[in-house]
Parts: sequence; structure tokens; C-alpha cells
Amino acid sequence: MNARILFLAGLLGATALGSTGAFAQDSAACTGEAVTLRILRTPGNYPYPAPMEAWQKENPCVKFEINEVPFAQLADTISVQAASSNPPDVLVYDGPNTQSYAASGILLPLTKYLPKDWDEDILPATKAEHSFEGEVYSPGIEQTTVAMYYNKKLVEAAGIKPPQTLDKAWTWPEALAAFKACQQGPAGAPSIWGLGPTRFGNGQPGLVYQDLIYQRSAGDPKAAPESSAYKTFWALSKDGKSVEGYLNTPEAIEALKFYQSLFNSEGVAPKVGIPNAFFDGKACFYIDTPAAGSALIKDPKIEWGITPIPYFKTPIVHTGSTTIGATARSKHPDIAAKFVVDMSTGEYAYMNVSQRGNLPTLKSLFPRFETYNAYPMKVFVDQLQEWGQPRPPGPKFAQYDKLVTDALRAVAFGGDPADLMADAEKKVQRVLDR
Amino acid sequence: MSVSNTLSTASAKPRTRRPATRRQKRDWLFAAGFLAPFMILLLVFQYVPLLVMARNSVYDYSLLNPAAAKFVGLRNFTDMIDYDDAAVSFGVTFLFALGVVVFVIPIAFSLALFLNSKLPARGLVRTMIMLPVVTSSVVVATMWSFLLDPSNGLINGVLNIVGIGNQPFLTSTSQALPALIAMTLWQQVGFGAILFLAGLQGLPVELTEAARIDGATRRQVLWNVTIPLLSRTTLFVVVIMTVFSLQAFAPAFLMTQGGPQDSTNLIVYHIYNSAFIMQQAGYASALSVALLLVVLAISMAQMALLRSRWNY
Amino acid sequence: MKKQHLRRGAMVALVIVVILCCFLAPYAWIVSSSFKNQLTLFNDVTPLSWRAFLPVEGTFENYRTLFARTNVLTALMNTAIVAGGQVALTLLLCSMAAYSLTRIRFPGAKIVFVLILLTFLLPIEAMMVPLYQVVSGLGLSNTLLGVMIPWIASPFGLFLLKQAFEELPVELEDAARIDGAGHVRIFFSIVLPNVKVPMLTLGLITFLFSWNSFLWPLVIIQDPAIQVIQVAIAQQGSPTQLPNWGETFAGATVATVPLILLFLLLQKYFTQGMTTSGIKG
Repeated sequence: MNARILFLAGLLGATALGSTGAFAQDSAACTGEAVTLRILRTPGNYPYPAPMEAWQKENPCVKFEINEVPFAQLADTISVQAASSNPPDVLVYDGPNTQSYAASGILLPLTKYLPKDWDEDILPATKAEHSFEGEVYSPGIEQTTVAMYYNKKLVEAAGIKPPQTLDKAWTWPEALAAFKACQQGPAGAPSIWGLGPTRFGNGQPGLVYQDLIYQRSAGDPKAAPESSAYKTFWALSKDGKSVEGYLNTPEAIEALKFYQSLFNSEGVAPKVGIPNAFFDGKACFYIDTPAAGSALIKDPKIEWGITPIPYFKTPIVHTGSTTIGATARSKHPDIAAKFVVDMSTGEYAYMNVSQRGNLPTLKSLFPRFETYNAYPMKVFVDQLQEWGQPRPPGPKFAQYDKLVTDALRAVAFGGDPADLMADAEKKVQRVLDR
Repeated sequence: MSVSNTLSTASAKPRTRRPATRRQKRDWLFAAGFLAPFMILLLVFQYVPLLVMARNSVYDYSLLNPAAAKFVGLRNFTDMIDYDDAAVSFGVTFLFALGVVVFVIPIAFSLALFLNSKLPARGLVRTMIMLPVVTSSVVVATMWSFLLDPSNGLINGVLNIVGIGNQPFLTSTSQALPALIAMTLWQQVGFGAILFLAGLQGLPVELTEAARIDGATRRQVLWNVTIPLLSRTTLFVVVIMTVFSLQAFAPAFLMTQGGPQDSTNLIVYHIYNSAFIMQQAGYASALSVALLLVVLAISMAQMALLRSRWNY
Repeated sequence: MKKQHLRRGAMVALVIVVILCCFLAPYAWIVSSSFKNQLTLFNDVTPLSWRAFLPVEGTFENYRTLFARTNVLTALMNTAIVAGGQVALTLLLCSMAAYSLTRIRFPGAKIVFVLILLTFLLPIEAMMVPLYQVVSGLGLSNTLLGVMIPWIASPFGLFLLKQAFEELPVELEDAARIDGAGHVRIFFSIVLPNVKVPMLTLGLITFLFSWNSFLWPLVIIQDPAIQVIQVAIAQQGSPTQLPNWGETFAGATVATVPLILLFLLLQKYFTQGMTTSGIKG
């Protein structure tokens, strides 16, 4: 009797011990050596616990160690840790940096780990963004872009009906008329703004992600490759090495004059951030990613709609979002690469992306995201597939980003567009020449 | 911090040299032991980085990939001349330092006079003006970002009451640097006032009293006796404020990112930006070497002025 | 005569009020805003009303989320550790160095002086990159020790204590020396106890410097678990989250209040230390 109780107790104890630990191990035991994959990311970012646990069941030898840093410090941390002798194995970073990290030898090329049908399934913009010199360095896990939200009550009260599909999208002059009609109060200091401020960065205008599209949409990708219309659209040479003649073009200057007027002579957009302006009903129109829509679906503070981003000549939106990659100096490159590719494809990708609320990068997954199958969120999908372009990719994107953002911001504050674009070209070219 | 003081004591050494006694040798060993930790740390963390910086300034490399460093000789330095970013940045920094110093002296001096008098609320005022001095530059920058907000800032709120419209402040190329100067003045004037106060309290009272007895008015006493007597203190305050302004970083980093249009591109921020964002660590090192030489020149000038000044 | 006095008194009062407003108002605004709801935070600024300075419907929400969602609490503890360690080590090493320079004549003392003197001129902010390379080369990157160690050999501390030591009458030690006491005993039992005030001042100023430091910790620490307070509150939100101004104000308040309290308690030591270093003599 005693022995049996002891035996049962022992069994209970063993199972209790066996099931503690952060990730419950399945009955399949590890047959190889135990590996710990170190992941560096911002808080609350990919990969998510559910797909990670599911993946671990199929790869029981792998444990995870997650290091989270705030977004403002992510780039610095990556540059410090990835170049060290003890780097993380997996990086979750801001997508446009892929080429620059690849050029610096931080990322592992993943081309040979990708599944066979990946090429056809992936969004072209994503593949362009994450490839460098013929190799793919990140499969891309999610995509986002921006669209223009509007406050239904305010806009309808002003008698405006914004287009809901891409084929009827506004031009920028049409959009400006709408901003002015909807705005309430004197230009430059209204009680309700026509176009609300961005929530990115410190809220000031100028970010390449959002504001470079003004001049890019004044260009034409189908024009002759030497023409200024062609160069205006691409804003950087294809090899990422030359910028002269791509920013300071007549088309760009015209577009920038319009952009500048939004903040100055027309006074429909503020020059500094206003916290929560759109959600508080202090702005009629507002440009943001699907995150805003997801927040409003959960908590409908205001009645809202979405209209496609306006354009001048060629519609365009910027893509590019968080992405995931494996480090070149990882001590377990094969496993890290496998993990990265698995998290970004198939069922794991669906589990990851559906938790976050943005869009996937694989066309086969789109139908499974129901919110995106109908208006209003469908506008994002359509824009992504038809108008989506990565921010000008190149190995020096981070520098391009800062210099051009500074120049665009100075234009918004009232500086001369031609001077500023010429100056930006000079500064960027200097960095590219190094 | 008292440069002249230490120089004078350092030069007072005995000239005779006798062979060292056993006890002296033991003393020296002991001195070495007590001095060593300090000196080792000083050498490792001040002088070694200096040498590393000098070496880095002739290379071109990025922090992302330091192994791919390229030797480029003096190219980083010629770049500083060929492109105008260095000149603009130094110019902005000098302007900033000038603005701070020119205004801090009269304001701090007036405050010191107030604190030295028998007027009421001295203790309260002294505490109030010292609060910003003990507040970190991060908190001061955060505070003033919101104070200077063009739509919702407190300063614009006050200006509106007086009838002045909203000012762009940090979004304007002409107002951004003056705004940062005002912020730095706010933060540093208390420190300057304390320095002047110490100087005032160290003045021999007989001189001012003698002048009053001779019939001088308060103003004449101030101009002709007090201020000249404080010349050394004033110079000291000028040097401290200049060196501090030349090293300013947080305002540019937290509030303006060097803009708009480089109008607030303080040199230390430019160095940080070059190294960490533009990924040009070699060029950043060259800028640092240049800054070091500038600070050296200014300090030498100070020492020369101190020596030649009439010592009261 | 009386009228003149009254007028002067009124002017003086006005000046005092203006000074107090200029210096106190920003703090009052920040602190009161930290108790306000994020959505209505800026409502009382334009047009300006007294409500900007007093939280009428105060809420602790900002502080609650600040402590729950960010690393501010850990950062406060880390900063306390770093500041405490830096104070202790600085006091120890500077006093030891000052003792050897003032009490013992040895060859090369002049060279040592000049070496220390020159470091006053080095703009430390400009040396961040090479300093980073040195510190991480020593394996101290991303450690709390790495945050404090470059500043322990403080030339300012050395000069402050050197001046203090020089003012101590030598007779005290001579008596002990005749009795056979060695340097170590003299240092710890006679010299140090008599320089309590300068040591306290140096300790306070070092604490101030350490608590407020921003650029160096920004460069050397990446792990948010060991981050210090000034960097912790300066971080902007991630682009996928809406910014929280109430938390920003709460963070600024949290980062400043400990120092202000310390300052209010020990004012005279702070101001004393800032002036004794150079004006006299």
C-alpha cells in the first residue's frame, strides 16, 4: 500500500516537474543537441507566442531567448550587437533597412531556405525591398501601407463624398478642395483641421514614409529612363548609388510647392503633432496605417471611412513594415534561417499576422483576412497590390531617410523647395559615394 | 576647476635634490599606490579614447561594420573644408555659445546683486533659480518642447493673453536657435548667479564703503568699484558657460534633430549624427578632433587672459 | 521719501513675482499635466487658464501606466545603483589621489598634475564613439559598471579635495606621525574625518551628475532592463502605438522629483561645492 502511494506520488511529481517551464514541451523529446535562439525585437512585436509554441512542438530541440528594446533604440542596438562576437540569431527590424544590413554583412542570405512557390506568392514590393544583389535577405512577414481616413460626420456635413475605390481616387487638388471645405475655423489655426497631423515620429511633417509620395506621384514610371518624370517617380537610382537628378526635378518642385501650401498658404494641416487629433474629432482627414482602423473597429469613437491616397499623375503608396531576418554571425544559422522562413510562410505566417492586424505579404493568405475583404479595409489591400512601392531601397537607406525627411520637413515649414531638394541631393550623394 | 590655482602650487617645488632616503622611497611607493587607481582610470578612459579618436579620424568606417575600415589619410579633414556641414555646425554652435554667454552675464549678475542685498524672499528666489540647474537636460528639453509648442504651448498661451499671435518657435529657421538659447539661459542662469554671489561675498567691504564715504552714488559704486573687482569671477563664468554651451547635445537631439535646415545643428549632435545615423564614424572622429582643438584654443586664451589681468 | 520706498517695494515685489513665475511655472505645468487625462491635457493652455497649473480632475492613470507598462521603475533602481556606486568610488579614488598629491613630495608630481589638468579641456561628449570602443573592448558594454566607470577619475573631484586637504593644518598629522602612524592610518583616521563637508559636497555633485547623465548611458546600454532613468523617459513610443503625452509628463516628473527633494534638503552643500572650486584664492 505504501509503495503504491509512493509510486503514484512520484509519477505525479514527475509529470508536474515536466510540465513547468515557459514553453510546455510536447511528448516528442529532443533527439539532437539543444539550441537556444536569441531574438532581438521591439516589445509586442513578431513572432507571437502561439506560432512559436506550435513551431517548437515540431522542433523540440529549440528554446528561445527574447531581448526587447524600445523602437527608438532598436537600430542602435542592432548595429552594436550584430557586429559583435555574440550576436542575436534572429532580428526583428524595420523593413527598409534590409539592404543596408545586407550590405554590411549583418544578415544571412535566405534564398536557399525559401519554399519553391514563394516567388509567385510574394508581393513584388516586398521582394524588391528585401533583396540585395540577387539574394533574398528577409521573407517579409507583414505589409502595411497608409490610406486616408475621414470623419464621416464632419465630411458629410460639409457635403463631401470621398471616393471609396481606387479607380475614382482623388487627385491632390481635389483633396485640397475637400480639406478646405471641411475645415472649421481660420486657416492656419482652425478648431478642426482639414488634414490632421501624422502620429509617427514626433508628429511633425516630412517623414519619407508618408510625405515623399507627393513628389513621387508627380512622376511617371513608364516614361523614358533618362527623363525627369521617370526619375521623379523612383527618387533614387535602381542600384541605390545615385540620387542626383532624382529629387530636384521640375515635377518634384511643383508637387512640393503644393505640399508646402498645405501647411502655409492654405493652412489646412498643422506643422507640429497634435495628440489624437483625428480620434478626438479635431481633424476631418487623416493619413494612417491599418492600425488606426483596427483600433476604431475595436472601439468606435467616431464614424469613419477610408478613401485612397490622392495623387498627381501616378498613384503611389509606400510599403514596408517590420520584418524578420537571421544574422550572418549567428552560431546556428541553419536553424535560425529555418525559423525565420517558417514564421513568415504558411500557417505560421497566418497566426502571426492575424494577431497583429496588418496585412500579410503572401497573396495566398489575403483571402483569409476577412476584415480586408470588404470596404473600408479593402482599400489597403487594393492599394498594396496596385500602387505599392517600397521606399527607395538601397544600402544607405537610413541615411537617405534622415536627410530627405529633414529636407521635406524644412519644405513644410516654409523653406524653398528647389534649394532644399538640391541641398538634399548633395548631402545624400555624398553619403552614397563613400 | 581652478586652473591658475593649481599651476601656482605645482610650480612651488624645492630645488635641492638630495639622494632619496629609505623613508622617502617608501613614501613614493605609497604615493604611487594611492595614486594608481585614479591615474589608471584617467589614462584608460580619457587618454586612450583620445588616441583612439585621433586614429579613427584618418579612417573611413561605419559602426555597423567596423571591420571594413578604410584608411583615407586626411580626407575626413579635407571633407570638413570642402563640404559646408562642419562650418555651418561650428557656426551654429558658436552663435549658440555667444547668445548664452552674452545674456547670462548681466542676468546672473543682477540676480546675484539681488541675492546679496537685504531684500525679501532671497532664499526662495535662490532656490527657484537653482531648480533648473539640478534638473537634467532631458527633462528640461521635454518641458520646453511642450512650452514652445506652436499650437498648444504654454508660452504661446501667455503670448495670446498679451495679444501676440502664436509663434512658430522650433519650426522656424529664425526662431529655433534663439528658443534653444532661451532654454539654456533658463537652465544655467542660477548657476551663474551663485558664482557671482560667491564673488560678491568675497569682496572686501572696505573698498565699497570707502567709495560711499567719498560721496559716490550706488550706481557709481557698482560701475567703478564692484564690477571691476569681479573681473576674475566674470571671466570664470564666461569660460564655464562657453565650454558648457560648446558641449550642448540634448536640445538638438531631443527637440529639433538639428533642424530646421541645420539651424540648430550643434556640433556634438552633428558628431553623434555622423557616427550613429550617417554611419560615418571616421568623419565623426575628425569632427571631434576639430572640436577638441577649438576647446583647447579657447581655454588657452582664457589662461592667457587670466595671467595678464590685473590681479586685485 | 515714503512714496519712493513704496514704489521701490512694489517694483521689487513685481520682479520677485516674475522670477518665481518664470522658474516655477514650467514645473507646475509639467507636474499638474502629469495628473491629467491624456485626451484633455492641452485643453487649458489655449486659451490659457489657471487650470493649466492645477489638475482639477486629477487622475493617477498616467503614473499607473507609466510604472506598469514601461521600465521606469527598474530604471529608477538602476540609476540609484549607478549613482551610489559612482559616488562611493569617486570619493574613494579622488581622496586617495588628492592625499598623495598634497602630502607626499615625489618626482613626477608636476607631470601628473599637468596630465590631470589637461583632461578638463577634453569635450567628453565628443569622445563618445572612441570611449564606447574602449569600454566595450573591456567587455563592459551594456553593463551598469560600464556606465559609471569612465567618470570615477574625476578631475573636478580631485581639485576640490586637493584644495580641501591643503587647508588642513599639517600639525594634526605630524603629531600622529611622530607616534609612529603610517600613511594609511593617518589617511583614514585623521585626514578624512576632517574633510567631511567637501566630501559631502563632492558626493552630492557626483550624484547629481550621475543621476542626470543621458548621452553616455544612451550609447553604452541597450538592454532596457538595465537602462537608467533619463534615457528611459526620453524614449519615444513605437510607430505602431499612439503617443502618450500624459506618460511623458509623468516620466519627467518621476525623473526629477528625487533630485529636487535631495537639493531642497541639502541646498547649502550643493551651492557651496559649486563655488569653492575656483573663486577663492
